[in-house]
Amino acid sequence: MPLLELKKVKKIYKQGKIDVPALRGIDMTVDEGEFTTIFGPSGSGKTTLLNMIGCLDTPTEGDIHLNGNKISDLSKKELAMTRRYNIGFIFQSYNLIPVLTAFENVEFAIRLIGNLSDKQMREKVLGMLKEVGLEGKENRRPGELSGGEKQRVAIARALIKKPKIILADEPTANLDSATAQDVIKIMIKMNEELGTTFIFSTHDPQVMEHARRFINLKDGTISSDKRGK
Amino acid sequence: MFSIRLGFKNLSRQKRRNIITIFVIAFAFFGYLFIESLFNGIEEMSFDNIKNFETGNIQIAHPAYWEEKDDLPLENLIIWNEDLKESLLQTSGVEGISPELRFSANLNNGIDEMGVIGVGIIPEYYNQVFQTQDYFIEGSLSALNENKAIIGARLAELMDLEIDDYIILLVRTKEDTFNTIDVEVGGVVNTLNPMMNTNTVLLPLSTVQQSLNVDDNVTMISLKTTEVPEENIIQSLESTFQGKELAIQAYSWQESAQGVVAFSEMKKGGVGAIMSVVLLIGMVGIINNVILSSLERTSEIGMMKALGMKEWEIVFVFMVEATGIGVLGGLTGCLLGYFGVNWMVNSGMSFKALYGDWLDWSQYGIPIVDRVYGAWNYSTFSYIFFLGVIVAILSSIIPAYWAANKDPVEAIYHR
Repeated sequence: MPLLELKKVKKIYKQGKIDVPALRGIDMTVDEGEFTTIFGPSGSGKTTLLNMIGCLDTPTEGDIHLNGNKISDLSKKELAMTRRYNIGFIFQSYNLIPVLTAFENVEFAIRLIGNLSDKQMREKVLGMLKEVGLEGKENRRPGELSGGEKQRVAIARALIKKPKIILADEPTANLDSATAQDVIKIMIKMNEELGTTFIFSTHDPQVMEHARRFINLKDGTISSDKRGK
Repeated sequence: MFSIRLGFKNLSRQKRRNIITIFVIAFAFFGYLFIESLFNGIEEMSFDNIKNFETGNIQIAHPAYWEEKDDLPLENLIIWNEDLKESLLQTSGVEGISPELRFSANLNNGIDEMGVIGVGIIPEYYNQVFQTQDYFIEGSLSALNENKAIIGARLAELMDLEIDDYIILLVRTKEDTFNTIDVEVGGVVNTLNPMMNTNTVLLPLSTVQQSLNVDDNVTMISLKTTEVPEENIIQSLESTFQGKELAIQAYSWQESAQGVVAFSEMKKGGVGAIMSVVLLIGMVGIINNVILSSLERTSEIGMMKALGMKEWEIVFVFMVEATGIGVLGGLTGCLLGYFGVNWMVNSGMSFKALYGDWLDWSQYGIPIVDRVYGAWNYSTFSYIFFLGVIVAILSSIIPAYWAANKDPVEAIYHR
C-alpha cells in the first residue's frame, strides 16, 4: 500500500465570481522512503499540491489518502492532529520563532507530541541538532544563525517527531549554492538513515540532481512522472 | 508548559510597544488608586469633621424635633436634668455628653447682618465631645463662662469682627416673639469644619435658654462614644429611654451627615466610572497589542498550525502574553499608586492651591476646609490588580482567536 495516494484531486479557488483552477485532477501515489521532486513553472500548482498533501488545505474534489487514511474529508481539528503526528514541513523562509533558541525551536515540535520525559526530550533534540550539524549552536537564536543554519534548524524541527512524510517547499531558494548543497545532503542522509519520505517542490537543479523521482506539473496537471537512478 | 514559556518569551518582542502598553495600563491603575485614595480621604475627613465639630457619635433628640431639625424649631425639646445626664453617662461606651440648644438668628455687627446658627452649650460638657477647643485662633472656650460668644474665623472675616467686638443676635423666642442677645466676641476658631467656621456662633447655654424662653430645655444632646460602630450603644440608650418612658431617641451621626453620605454614594458611582475607564484603557491596550502582534506574526501562526497546533493552543500563547502585559502593567501601576497614595496620605493636596478660593466644598455639604489627605485602602490594590489581569486575559481572547483562526495557507505565505 502506498504511503500517499491522490485520486483525481482538484482545487479551484474563487476570485470574486471567477473560478481559478489550481489543480485539475491529480492522480499520484508516493511510497514510503521516496525522495520525490515536484517541479514546474510558477503557477503550475506545486505549492497548492503540497498544501493538499500537508493537510493545510482541502481539495475541492477528489480523495487523498495518507498511510491508508482518507484525509481529504477531515475536520480542522483532525487535520491539525494529522499534521502534528504525521507531517513535517520545511519552508523556504524557515519560519522559525525568533525569540526561541535553536534548541527550543526544535523542542517546540516534540513538545506538541508530548510523550517524552524532559531528559529524553533533551537528549533527542540535542541528538537531532547534532545530526544536522548544529552541535554547540543549540542556544543561539535564529537571528544569530546563518541562512543555512536556520534551514538546518527547520529540518531538525521537521524530523524530530519522526513524521511519515516531510514536505519541503523550495527549501533551498533562499540559500547560496554551497549552503544549499549542504542542506540537501542532510536531507538525503535523513532519508537514507531514517527512511523518511521527502517531497520537494523546487526549481533548484541541485535538489533535482539528488531526487529519485521527478513529477512535472504544468497548468495544474501532471505532465510527466519519471523515476531516476 | 511550553506554550506558557513561549507566551512569556514573546513579551521580549516589540519591547517599545509592550512598554508603552504596560505604562498606559500602569498610569490608568495609578490614576484610579490615586483618585480612590483622594475620595476616601475626603470621606474620612468629612466624617471626622462632622463627628468632631458638629454631631459627636450619637445625637439624642425628640423624634418630632429630629424630623424638623433642619428648620431649627424650638418645639419638641428635651429637658436637660440630672436624671437624664446620669442615665446617659452611665450607659456603657458613652465617653462624654454635651447638651446643645440650636436656633436660627440674624447676626448684626452694627453695619451688616447675616443669618447664622446659634448654639447654646456648656463648655465643660462640650469639651468632652468636640475638638473645637484645639482650634482657637484667639481666646478660648472658657470665654463662654464670661457670657461671651465664640465665632468662626470665616464669619469673623465676613462680618469684620474681632475679639471684644460686640454682636447682636436677633432671635425669635419659643413664643415666636423677637428678642436679642447682645454679647461680646470672646473667641475666634478656625476648625477643620467649614460650617463651624462660616455660620456658627457658640453661646452659653443658660443665656440662650433665657433668651429663647425655653426653660431647661435643649434641642439635642451629642454623645461621644468609645465604640465604633455605635449600633450597640444606640440600642442600649433606646432601652434606657423606654424604661424611663422618655419620648426621645438616639441617632447615629450618619443620620445627620446626609450631605456627606450623599457624597459617599456619589463617590461609589464616581469610583465605579473611573474603574470602568481604567479597565477600558487596559482592554484597548491589550486588544491593540494582541492584534498588532498577530498581524506581525501571521506567518509564524501559519507555521504553528503547520506543526499541528490547535486553535485554542495558539490562543493560549497570546493569552499568556496578554497576561504578562497585564501583570507587569498592574504591578507597575500598583507601585506608582503606592507612591502617589503615600504622598497623598502624608502631604495631602491643597485645593486652594489648585482652584483658588472659588471652590468652597462646604457649599456642597462636604465639610472640608482646604488641604485634603488621602487614605490607604490596601484591598483596592489587590482588587484592581487582579481585576486588571483578568480583564487583560479576557480582552486577549477575541483578537487571539481571530489570529488563530486564520487560514494556515494564507498565514504561512503571508508577506
